[in-house]
Amino acid sequence: MSVRGTRIPPHLQLPIAGVTPPPTEKEGQRLFPTGNFRFYRPVYRDKTPPCNNACPTGEQIQKYLDFVKHERFLDGYLTILEDNPMPSVTGRVCYHPCETACNRAEHDEPIGIRSVERFLGDYGLALTENPIAGGLPALGGTTVAIAGSGPAGLACAYHLRRRGYSSVIFEALEKPGGMLRAGIPHWHLPEEILDAEIAKLLSLGGIEIRCGVRAGEDISWDELRGYPAAFLALGQDVGRRLPVDGIESRGVVGALEFLREAGLGRPVTVGRQVLVIGGGNTASDAARSAIRLGGGHATIVSLESETELLIVPEDLEQARDEGVAFAPNTALVRVLAEEGHVTGAVVCDAALAKDDAGNVVPRLVPGTEREVACDTIMIAIGQVQRLAWLPERLSDHGVITADEHGRVEGNVFVGGDVMRGPSMVVDALGDGKRAARDIDRLLTAQELMPEPDVEVMPYQGLNPAYFRHAPRMPIPLSPPERRRASQQVEVTLAYSREAAVAESDRCMSCGVCNGCDNCYIVCPDVSVLRDARENGHYSIRTTYCKGCLVCVQECPTGCLEKVPEMDFDDPADVVRMETAFAPYDGAHAEQSAFTKQLIEETIAEYDAARQAGKGQRTQRGGNGNAAFTPNGDSGVRS
Amino acid sequence: MYHELTVWSRGIIMDKEARDVSSCVATAARALGYHADNVSDYIDDPDRTNCLVRRYARFGDSPIVDRFVYENPCPDWVVLVEETIIKAVNFLRGTPERGGVLVINSKRDPEYLLKFLPDEMKAKLAKFVVVDAVGLAEQRGSSPWMFVRNLSELALDRMSTEGAEERLAIGLGIAAPLIGALVAATGVLPVDAVADVVADRDAMLRGVAHHTVVGFAGPAAETREAEKPQTDGTDAAAPTAAPAHAAR
Repeated sequence: MSVRGTRIPPHLQLPIAGVTPPPTEKEGQRLFPTGNFRFYRPVYRDKTPPCNNACPTGEQIQKYLDFVKHERFLDGYLTILEDNPMPSVTGRVCYHPCETACNRAEHDEPIGIRSVERFLGDYGLALTENPIAGGLPALGGTTVAIAGSGPAGLACAYHLRRRGYSSVIFEALEKPGGMLRAGIPHWHLPEEILDAEIAKLLSLGGIEIRCGVRAGEDISWDELRGYPAAFLALGQDVGRRLPVDGIESRGVVGALEFLREAGLGRPVTVGRQVLVIGGGNTASDAARSAIRLGGGHATIVSLESETELLIVPEDLEQARDEGVAFAPNTALVRVLAEEGHVTGAVVCDAALAKDDAGNVVPRLVPGTEREVACDTIMIAIGQVQRLAWLPERLSDHGVITADEHGRVEGNVFVGGDVMRGPSMVVDALGDGKRAARDIDRLLTAQELMPEPDVEVMPYQGLNPAYFRHAPRMPIPLSPPERRRASQQVEVTLAYSREAAVAESDRCMSCGVCNGCDNCYIVCPDVSVLRDARENGHYSIRTTYCKGCLVCVQECPTGCLEKVPEMDFDDPADVVRMETAFAPYDGAHAEQSAFTKQLIEETIAEYDAARQAGKGQRTQRGGNGNAAFTPNGDSGVRS
Repeated sequence: MYHELTVWSRGIIMDKEARDVSSCVATAARALGYHADNVSDYIDDPDRTNCLVRRYARFGDSPIVDRFVYENPCPDWVVLVEETIIKAVNFLRGTPERGGVLVINSKRDPEYLLKFLPDEMKAKLAKFVVVDAVGLAEQRGSSPWMFVRNLSELALDRMSTEGAEERLAIGLGIAAPLIGALVAATGVLPVDAVADVVADRDAMLRGVAHHTVVGFAGPAAETREAEKPQTDGTDAAAPTAAPAHAAR
């Protein structure tokens, strides 16, 4: 309990209307601790921005955008690396759930987070040495087995390395990268970028990749289980088959197999008239790669209508620009072949329907069958994984079942597509990160914990008046005629340094204090302190803050909030004044004694005057006299 | 018999509530034949929003001597119109040891509130009374607080802050249950007589019926929920029920 401001120090005591220091001076604030005016207290409490919450790897996007804004690129790069080992990859191929969640979309347009991430990733790849290599813990001697070198496996290995574990990755193909190499075309993700990111990862030491080792064939379940811990990141690389007549003909290929051959640099041949069956991103990638390799036409045949297509909007737009044709609400009925080679297909009108279990059940319209000429058909209707080598109880319809921690059983964890079905690269990266954390917990005999709940900052919590409308920096693209011609021409290009800084400057820093000084400036009571850096930036002088909440209203990011004063239950926190607003302790008590004395003296004087001039009337009026009869019978005022 | 009531509140936005409590107590006491005073606050800054302000009432069966002393020197009844004031100020200055009845408007636990009182303040308490006046008051709109409810009404009330005529009836809103809890817990003034001068009689009687009293008979505190509006007369320090109309 502190009792402050109740006594004027002697050197400041002046008899009447004392000149006291104003509250704008420190002495004055000590003198008048008006903190007791307050029934709400402003509190700095950072919330989770929606981008950060939406990112499966939990990248601290607000933080690195803030670094980029101040041109602190290395700090920004290091911030990404805390969560994501390969920003150059995700900066190119991520379907950016962060931008979808961005609050700025409600304001004008979402931030181009992916492009800034790519800028930072490429900045990091251009560094001559890996900036995190020096600060890693020494390897502890424990080696974890990882099946699959896709994004999930690489992320798991990376985060295990950051925690001091070695890992050995078993990759079925001849080169590492998993779907990053075998599923994503080079015009999306150039091979040299992927190679550089993997090389950067391997340079950390303690990560070994054994290519040509397929889990289930070259290494068994029991061998994997024999490691201190294992992480299954097998992906799903087996395309679903379509049960129609003629599907066995030459010229019918799985889109996934086609992308794998192309991605690994093997020779592939594509006809000039390509039908791609499917309505997802694989269909789009396959059709666009087919145009580049065959130079002909590609049509995406989908059960989905134009609006139902599962292709991300920007890919859809780019595919249209490149001349990909669309046949929505159409189904493949049978494949026409001559001498075993595809010559055409019969399609009909159809609609997408799903049964109770969520499986796709095409609803065909009889009588609308028509022939379409084509020489290649690619099937992109989903993918599975062969899991017969696993104990039967662990797999279900091509995915591995796991508990809420992603644990299969015992010391074996799973993540990526083989757990969740076809999903994003960044989902796999997030699974790898979580698996590394949980493996660490398991190996150090800690309990596995669910993800903590976070409070996400909504747009309504911001103060939009502080953010002027600024359009998103345009993301440069290669011209369609140029990129149609080659597998190697990147479609999406990078932000310049200036564009990356300008785009980061659009970030509204939702719910996170970014030190804008607004509270410091608007506080009418000099109660926001900038020198004591609570929360990294400011603190509230609670002895003096009157709780006017101007700072809360004017906080652009919403990181300041009002908390009822009574919720602070620490008695030591109480600033109690001896009087309400009396300048010093007991002023009024003394005043009352003084008043009494004054009255008595006046009465005595009056009586003495009456004694002296007996019979003479006083000069004062009757009312004046009546006021000086304190002990009269007029106790009840009228 | 002599009692001093100090009502603590906040400038302008809750001034009406505090004024009503002291005014009703003084008016009822005077109607019962006691000598009584009701004094507004000119010590603090009553025209500053949120600033701590006080309203004083005092009554007794003999004439009130200190008519020029407007700050109650020894308040034995203290009402806090808003709960945060419990942290803000030493509102028990001058209160006799084990002689104070403290009424606080809060819906929190008495134990939680008592945490904020230092031992020397607790030593002055005979009774600690918690009443959820906001919950018991007549709900108008989203809240019975005038400052939450209606800015224009508050603007009118502001005019009467410094002694102008009241523009609203006396004993409305938060004030009514607070008066009820105070009268019931002290037991000096008859409930019916006070209810006659309170505009919102029903809310006042709700305050009489629903409040929590923590008694400080000795070092140990005991809690009871008020079932009937009757004080326990076992407490030696607490004022005993005075005979009505006995003043003159």
